[in-house]
Amino acid sequence: MRTNKILIVDDEKNIRMTLTQALEDMDVEIDTAVNGEEALSKLQDGDFGLVLLDLRMPGIDGMQVLDRLSKDRPDVKIIIITAHGTIDAAVDAMKQGAIDFIQKPFTPEEIRDMVSKVIQEETTGEQKNGDYDSCLKLAKKSVEDKHIEAAVEHVKKAISLDSSRAEAFNALGALLEIQGDKLEAQKNYRAAISLDPGYKPAHENLSRSTHANPNAEKNIKFDQKTSY
Amino acid sequence: MASKNNMYVIVIGCGRLGSFLANMLSNEGHSIVVIDIKPIAFNALAPDQFSGFKIEGDATELGILKQAKIDKADVLIGATHDENVNIMAAQIAKNRFDVPRVFVRILDPNKESFCKTIGIECVCPTSMAAEKMITALREKPES
Repeated sequence: MRTNKILIVDDEKNIRMTLTQALEDMDVEIDTAVNGEEALSKLQDGDFGLVLLDLRMPGIDGMQVLDRLSKDRPDVKIIIITAHGTIDAAVDAMKQGAIDFIQKPFTPEEIRDMVSKVIQEETTGEQKNGDYDSCLKLAKKSVEDKHIEAAVEHVKKAISLDSSRAEAFNALGALLEIQGDKLEAQKNYRAAISLDPGYKPAHENLSRSTHANPNAEKNIKFDQKTSY
Repeated sequence: MASKNNMYVIVIGCGRLGSFLANMLSNEGHSIVVIDIKPIAFNALAPDQFSGFKIEGDATELGILKQAKIDKADVLIGATHDENVNIMAAQIAKNRFDVPRVFVRILDPNKESFCKTIGIECVCPTSMAAEKMITALREKPES
């Protein structure tokens, strides 16, 4: 998924042209679709990160495209294009997952500002993701949201950023244990202990999972403060 | 034209002059909003040249001008057949929204000086035609 790959979806040629012209000087790749059907087909094949979507279109309309995307491709960001006096529809669209909306007519600056904001937010997100502690925070949040696989990815990213710290190995062990792989979990707890013999959560996890200490807490320790 | 040089232009009136300007400026890459009270007038916009927006309504109404985002306009052109409408919209653009360049088409040469005093650039086809004719007469007197 690339945020700077943008799909413009509007049945009016004027709007497609105006948007394309407004964005052509930016570092973005633009494609267009003339209706909902074409949009869904292009989105299935292409790695678009952002869609500028008109709500009113014949056939599959913008709301239906939005509905389909929010289920199948929640990673794709959507900005709604709306006519004057149709704010209610735009608000409904935002409740459905669109990140913003713009009213016709719009100036090229308005469009460029909106698109740059989305790209910048995405880049900032990536940078945050590049930070060890942020990766662990994201992992923790993913666990809270019950997305264990996503949490594993974040923890693995933390390990790749700094393999000399114990926290991520312990967290990976905790996640593997949640997934039912006790043996792999114990390997990671041991790795954490070897990196930092004083890291308590890893000791507690290992002794609990191996039943070495019958008095150990029953919960899996994700880190110093959090257990599951 | 590069979009960084792109101007946001509001054209009031989609008659012969308004549609000609809208088609031409849009084709050059500028962002155009055309306002006309009669939707049928928009038929004069050429699909292969015009890629702007159309608003049906009375351009002397503040709501319609706001709908056209007049506060963001670089240029406003009054090109309706009614010069009073052109001047009124131009005055709103100039005084209330501080639009940098405001042009109007007027037919009565007596209103030219008035427009100048209120800071509106005006084009008067009547006086332009008269001047051309007078110049032609002076250059080639009848033998």
